[in-house]
Order: sequence, then C-alpha cells, then structure tokens
Amino acid sequence: MDTLLFNLIWLIPLLTVFVCIPIPGTKAKLIKSIHATSGTFVLGLAGYLTYRVYALSGTPVDENAAPLMLRFFTDIPWISTLNAHYIVGADGLNIFLVLLTAVIVWGGILVSWEIKGNQKVFFALIQLLATSVYGVFMSIDLVLFFVFYEMEALCMYLMIACYGSGRKDYGGKKLTLTLAFGSAMILATLFGLYFESGATSWSLVELSKVNIPMSFQMWAFPLMFMGFAVSSSLFPFHFWSPDGHASAPTAVSMLAAGVMMKMGAYGCLRVAMFLMPEAAKFWLPYVVALLIFNVVLGPFIALRHKDLKYITAYSSISHLGLIFLGLAALTPVGLRGASLQMISHGFLTGLFFATIGMIYERTHTRDITEMGGIMRKIPFLGVGFAIAGFAGLGLPGFSGFVAESNIFIGAFAQDSTLTRVVTVLAILSITTTAVYILQTANRMLHGNMPAKYETLTDANLREKIVVVVLVLCLLLIGIFPGWIADLLDQSIAPIFAKLAAASTPVIGG
Amino acid sequence: MSFSVPQFIIPDLILLALPFLVIGCRLVIRNSKLPWRLACIGLIAVFVLLNLLPLVGGSGNYFISNWRVDDFGILMREVLTLSALLGLLLAKDYFDHGADGKPQMNQIAEFAGTVAFATFGGYIVVSACDLLTFFLGLEMATIPMYILTAWNKKDQMGSEAATKYILMGSVATAFELFGFSYLYGFAGSIHFDAIQNAAAAGTSPLLWIAVLFLFCGIGFKLTLFPFYTWAPDVYEGAPSPVTALLAVTSKATAIAFLVVLVFGPLAPVQEQIAPLIAILAGVTLFVGNLGALKQSRLRRFMAYSSIAQAGYIMVALLGPAEMSKTAIIYYLFLYTVANYLAFFVFGVIGHRREESFDALRGLSKQNVSLAVALAVAMFSLAGIPPLAGFFGKFHLFFSGASTGHYALVVFAVLNNVLALYYYLQVIKSAWADEPEGELTTLRMTKRQKLCIFLLTVGVIFMGILPHLSDNIFAGFSL
Repeated sequence: MDTLLFNLIWLIPLLTVFVCIPIPGTKAKLIKSIHATSGTFVLGLAGYLTYRVYALSGTPVDENAAPLMLRFFTDIPWISTLNAHYIVGADGLNIFLVLLTAVIVWGGILVSWEIKGNQKVFFALIQLLATSVYGVFMSIDLVLFFVFYEMEALCMYLMIACYGSGRKDYGGKKLTLTLAFGSAMILATLFGLYFESGATSWSLVELSKVNIPMSFQMWAFPLMFMGFAVSSSLFPFHFWSPDGHASAPTAVSMLAAGVMMKMGAYGCLRVAMFLMPEAAKFWLPYVVALLIFNVVLGPFIALRHKDLKYITAYSSISHLGLIFLGLAALTPVGLRGASLQMISHGFLTGLFFATIGMIYERTHTRDITEMGGIMRKIPFLGVGFAIAGFAGLGLPGFSGFVAESNIFIGAFAQDSTLTRVVTVLAILSITTTAVYILQTANRMLHGNMPAKYETLTDANLREKIVVVVLVLCLLLIGIFPGWIADLLDQSIAPIFAKLAAASTPVIGG
Repeated sequence: MSFSVPQFIIPDLILLALPFLVIGCRLVIRNSKLPWRLACIGLIAVFVLLNLLPLVGGSGNYFISNWRVDDFGILMREVLTLSALLGLLLAKDYFDHGADGKPQMNQIAEFAGTVAFATFGGYIVVSACDLLTFFLGLEMATIPMYILTAWNKKDQMGSEAATKYILMGSVATAFELFGFSYLYGFAGSIHFDAIQNAAAAGTSPLLWIAVLFLFCGIGFKLTLFPFYTWAPDVYEGAPSPVTALLAVTSKATAIAFLVVLVFGPLAPVQEQIAPLIAILAGVTLFVGNLGALKQSRLRRFMAYSSIAQAGYIMVALLGPAEMSKTAIIYYLFLYTVANYLAFFVFGVIGHRREESFDALRGLSKQNVSLAVALAVAMFSLAGIPPLAGFFGKFHLFFSGASTGHYALVVFAVLNNVLALYYYLQVIKSAWADEPEGELTTLRMTKRQKLCIFLLTVGVIFMGILPHLSDNIFAGFSL
C-alpha cells in the first residue's frame, strides 16, 4: 500500500496536467483549485510517507534494495533494449527531499495565484516541473533518473521565457542551456558507466556492487561531478543562476533555487560519489579549492548587488557551496551536514523567494535602494523576509545552524590543510553573510518610506499560510534536528561505507 | 515450393501498382478527390500489411536470391510508408491553396504517384542483394525527388532548387557508380555475399577506394560533411511537403543504404572503417548545428537541423549490427513523427504567412494547442526527455558507446546543447516574442487538426512506452 502511494507522488502531478487539458482556459479558477488540491494532496502524501519511513527505520529492507536502505522498493522492467528498469525507492536521504519538494511546489502554486498570462499552461508547467523533481529524487535507475533530470529543462525555459520579468529570454536560455550542458556531461558518463562496469544494469543498487575500473573512474568522475555541480551552481558554473532566478517568476525561482539546485548536489552524492568512490577521494580535494569562490566570494558579490533576487541568488550560491564543503569533507558528519543543508536551504530559499515575490508584486521593484520603510505598511511580509534572512545567516534555532555546524565540524575533521583553511574561511564568511542580509533588511524595511508606498497592503491569507508553513519547517528542523539526522545517518551509512573502503589512488598509478 | 505469392512481396506489389492506379484513376475521372484518397488508402493498406508481416530472424530470398526481405527491410518499409503517407496528408493543403507566399500546386494525383515511386525506390534499397539492384533502388528513390522539388511550376525558387539538386545528385551518382565498379573489381562479383566473403578473406587498396567513393556518393544524399551544402538551398526552394519528404524519406533511404552496406558486404571491415564513420558523424553533426544557429527561415533551419540529425544517426553505425539497426530504425520512426509534426505546424502557419521565424510570433497567445505541438516537436528533435527524440538519441548513443567510442559520444552529447539553443529559438519565437502588428487568423482543417493531435500524442508517448523499441529489438534478436 505504502509502495503504491509512494509511486503516486510523481504520478499525481502528471495526472493533474492531463485532467486539466480538456478544461477551457477561461475557467482559470477551477483549474487553479484542481492544481492546489493536487499539490496539497501530494504534500499530505509525502508527509505521511516520511512518517512511514521514520516508523519503519530499523526494520530490514527488501533484499533487492540492499545495501541501500530503500523502502517502498519498486522494480518493473521498462525498456528491455537498454536494460532500463523503472526502479524507485525511498530512504532517509530522498524522502526528505521529496517532502521539501512537496512543500515548495504547494507554496509555488499558492503564490502564483495571480500570475499574468495563460494560467492553464503555467500551472501545467509547474506540475510537470514537480513531476521531474519528484522523479529525480525517487528514481534509483539511472536512465529513469536522467529522464526526470533533463525534463526540467523543458519546463524551465517555457516558464521563464513566457512568465518571467526583465531579460527573460536571456535568463531562460542561459539557465536552460547551462543546465543542459551539465546534463550532457552526465549522460556521456552514464554510457561509460554502463559499459565499463559490465553490470548490464542501470540500477544504482546493482552498479554499486561492482568495481568500476580505475582508469575509467579517473576521467568520468570529474565529468559527472561537474555535470551535477552545474545545477548546484558550483564555481565556475554558477553564472546561470543569478540571471535565471532574477528573470524567473516567483514560483519558478522558489522551485529552481529551493529544489532544483538540490538535484545536482543529490546526484553528486548519490550517483557520482557512491559509484566512483576511489576517484571521489582523489578529486574532491580539488573541488574544495573551487569552493573558495562559492563560499567566500559569493557573499561579497551579494553585498554589492541592489536587486533582491540577485542578492538571494548569490546567497544561494554561497549556501550551496557549503553543501559541497560537506560532501568534500568525506566524513559521516560532513555528509550528514551536507544532506541537512540541502533540506534546510530548500525551505530557506523558498521562503526568501516567496517573500521577495510578494513584496515585488506590491512595490513593482526589486531594487533595495528604491525601497525603504515598508515594514510600516507590510509588517507581515517584512518579518517573513527578516526571518528568512536570519535563518540564512545561520542563527541557532533555525535549520541553517544545525546544517552548517555539522558541515564545519565534519570538514574540519578532515586532515587536509586546504579543507581546513577553506572551512575557517567559510566560517568567517558568515560575517559577510550577516552584513549583506542586515544591510538589505535595513534598507528595505526601515528608514524613510517613499510616498508611493502609502497604499501598500499586507499579505492576504493565502500568502500568509505559505510564509507561516515555510517558517515552521525552518524552525522544526532547527529545534528538533535529531529525528531527521537519525534517518539521514542510516541512509548515508552505505554511501560512507563505500567511500571508506575505497583506497585513494595515486597519481599516475 | 507452392504457387502462392510469397507474403513478403505483397506490400511491395501493392505499392508498385499504386501509382498506376492513382494516375490512371485521374485520367478516367477528372476533377475529383478520388486519386488522392486512393493513394492514402493504398499507403495505409501497405502500412497495415507490413505490420502484419512476422519479423523473421532469417530472411526470405527471391528472384535468384537478388531480393531479400528481412526484418530490417520490413521495418524500413514501415518507416518509408509512414513518411510517404504523412507527406501526402501534408501536401493536400498545398494543393488546395497556396502557402508560404507561393501559388498553389496542381496535379495531386501525379504527385502522389511520384511519392509512391520514391518510396518504392527505398523498398528496393533495403531489399537488394547485389550492386545493380541496389543502385537501381537508390536512383529510383532519388529521381522522383528531383521532380517533386520542382513540382510548383509557378515558383522559380523551386526550379532553381531542383536544378541544383539534380546537378549535385548526378555527381553523387557518378561517385557511387565509380565506387561500385571498384567494389566489383575487388570482389569479382556484384552479389553482396560474394563481396562479403572477399572482404573477409582479405582487403586491398581497391576496397578502400571503393569505400571512400561510396561514402562520398552517399554523403551527398545523406547530407554528410562536406557534401551537405546543397541541402539548405534545396530545402528552402522546394515546396514544404517535399522538404518534409526530402528530410525523412530521402534521408531514411540514404541511411538504409549505409546500413545495408556496412552490415552487409562491408561487415568484415566495419572496424576498419569505423574511424571514417566516426569522423563523418562528428563533423557533420557539428557543422549542422553550427549552421542552424543563425537561420531565420524555417525550412532552411530544418535543413540544417536534419543535417545534424544525419550526424547523430551515423553515431549508431559504430555499434554491433542488431543494436545499430534497432537504434537507427527506432530513431527514424521518432524522427519521422517529430519532423512531420513540425512541418504540419509550419503548414498551418504558412497558409497566410511566410514560413519564417517571425511568422511564429505570438503563436502561444493566438493558439496555445498549436504552440504546444510546436514546442513538443522542437523539444523532441532537441532530444529532451520524456519526449520520443530523447529515447531515440539515447539508443543511437548507446549503440555508439557499446563499442567504446566514448569520445565521439561525449562530443555528440555536448553538441546537443548547441542544438537545444536553436530549437529554443523557434520555441522563443512562438512563445515569448510579441507579435508585430495584426496577426492574420490561423485556419486549420479537420485533417490538419487530427494529424497534429495524433503526431503530438505519438511524440509524447512513443518514447516513454517501451513497446516500439522492444518490438523492433525483438525482431533482430530472434
């Protein structure tokens, strides 16, 4: 029963799209209610299944799913020509990401209620995007994984180019093509992975049981890791994200920064590092050097920007850098921190972009120098934005603190000088983060208010619910991190076991 | 041996009789819709009959073993028939009224007959077992295409395109014949089996000269680098439905020619000619993609896009026979469907406007369904999942990678990003750009609506549902 429900998670958004096709576009209210209901239903489903995974923890899993701790394991032959199967399964790592996606999609649907343009198509695209993200997190088979992974490109471009603002075509193309470049690198290595491993299976479970030749790993790992890292905006592939987010409509920014960028980090951990642990040990120290840009320089760039979305985009870049720091630490604590950061940052940035979108709808500008004192008129949204800011700079009590402290502890535990130096720099850069967040909040919310903002109205009920739920999620993880961390630890254990067993290759050896 | 007509020949006979019936019908009954309907029904019948044929692991040899019908032949026949049928359906509008700023075309019955002849040429190519029949098939597939290109007599561009096409095509034919003569000189026989045995026994410079010239010759027809230059002009000048036929039927015939050659007489030396195929594939897809970047006319754009697609198809030729044939046929099916979908949409647009990127502006506001169909076609050609094109390309690359040509696969996959850019340009015109001035109204006939709907559904589901590829593969692995 639970297995069936789990498979429904990605199917429901897709079915919603098909249900809405015959409804004429003029009945926008009906279409929106259908989408909102479907989003809420999936959210409930994801919540229930997360609870089930928690309740089931400790019990043995399906033997076909071992060594991964996968619940709700489904394996159906799909394309026999390619030996591709439809394999999905949930463990602590991905069920939380699915839950995160459900929250963000639900929020995204609610905040786009008044979107201009063809609403029927817009909501269909959101649901397609949701399908693709759910699919990525759920699938264990690499062909299935890739199908979902690249599906996002299709929705993203249309949503940004048609419903965005500013240089929307430019931003949309930049985002789509850069992401497509990343997935091209992944696809190329997938073929190699299949033929070199000799496993005649695309299943992560099967592939993890064979040893992939070292000579192949050495060139394939960087290609695949960077391919995934593109969508998590690791330097030097971060350039798509500020322009993409800035031109995207609110819901798309939320989804892109909140969940889509996590797909890359998730892929790095789940596919690249898990299947090629030897090469991971060799290459990840070099990745740490790239992080100096993300973690240390990212906040400085955010400091200089005046557009709210650019500030948030660079803040995302720096936060995602921390995920990679956790991954590169190669310690259980670091990996746990990285996974926690994926979840925490999803809620955080979702809240950020949601409040920014709501403020933008009212002020019609995202330039912080043109705003001021709007706290007096829209206190609810102001507080929402401030909370997001505080969570972003890692205030204890919010999820960011838990995740970041784990990452720092984990990274510092690694006895490589470079990693330690970068860790110290990263800790110091929190100060910069504090500066830009406080500066932004101060300029925007306090001070003299331009006269044109006298008529601003505060958030309506629909918007309030979204903000409150996202804040609650941040607090929940921040105050009770234990139960998430337990589940994450169980799921990371097999990945770490493989990493620990791998011998570090010698250059030229 | 019984006296009954062998079942593998029946569809061929029907197709061969079809042009005579259609044209004869027009001679008897003037000014009626009957000939065109007869042609469509005939093609549907052939398609259905082909689907009823069992895919055999072995093959049926006829006419002193110069004619072989095997699983590859049957499946290729299906692709060619489907393409001809869709081409006729597409062409009807161009006979009913002018399009793309050009006057309407006349003589639909003769048009249908010519298309059927071209299709039959493709049938011969996939069934031939000796060089002469093979050459005959290729010419029979090509010469009707010259005629079709110049079909619109009132259009000077078309005549110019046809002249260009004939001149280039004749040179290509000469190259092929030259290659054939060397192949004959090498093996001492025109029969494929004899050539295969000779090649297996040992190679000689004669063989390599023959291979080189054969690839040059077919390079023209498949628009491989450096022989692709005629394609943009001819695609642009030809009437739209003929462009679609050129992009699908002509290309499918040419690739079938290569498949028959590489996995037939040249099978023993496949490994030696792999570098040649790899280089041609890589350069062709790169050049096609580069060329498509800056186009503003839709048919010119489709020409470059189809050059690039030819390059992608070539990648699959590097794999082992079953995998390669599965991938190519599967891809051709999907390519046919996606390509015709695009051309049907262009056909609706082109009724009152020119077929250019600017004519697409504002489409998403004017008719969302049409804009969705166009986006589906373009994303499929770009190879974005879950649309069919992705799975097609996946099979092609899978076949190429199976023999360890990772460098080429990486190159081809990265080129896909380039391709995505120009397909996005089309989608951008239709979805994001504001129209300039008043838009002329779009009118769709029921036939167009039905075709666009069916093809869209096909593109969306043919990839995800595994039946097509499984069936094709099952045929080869028997």
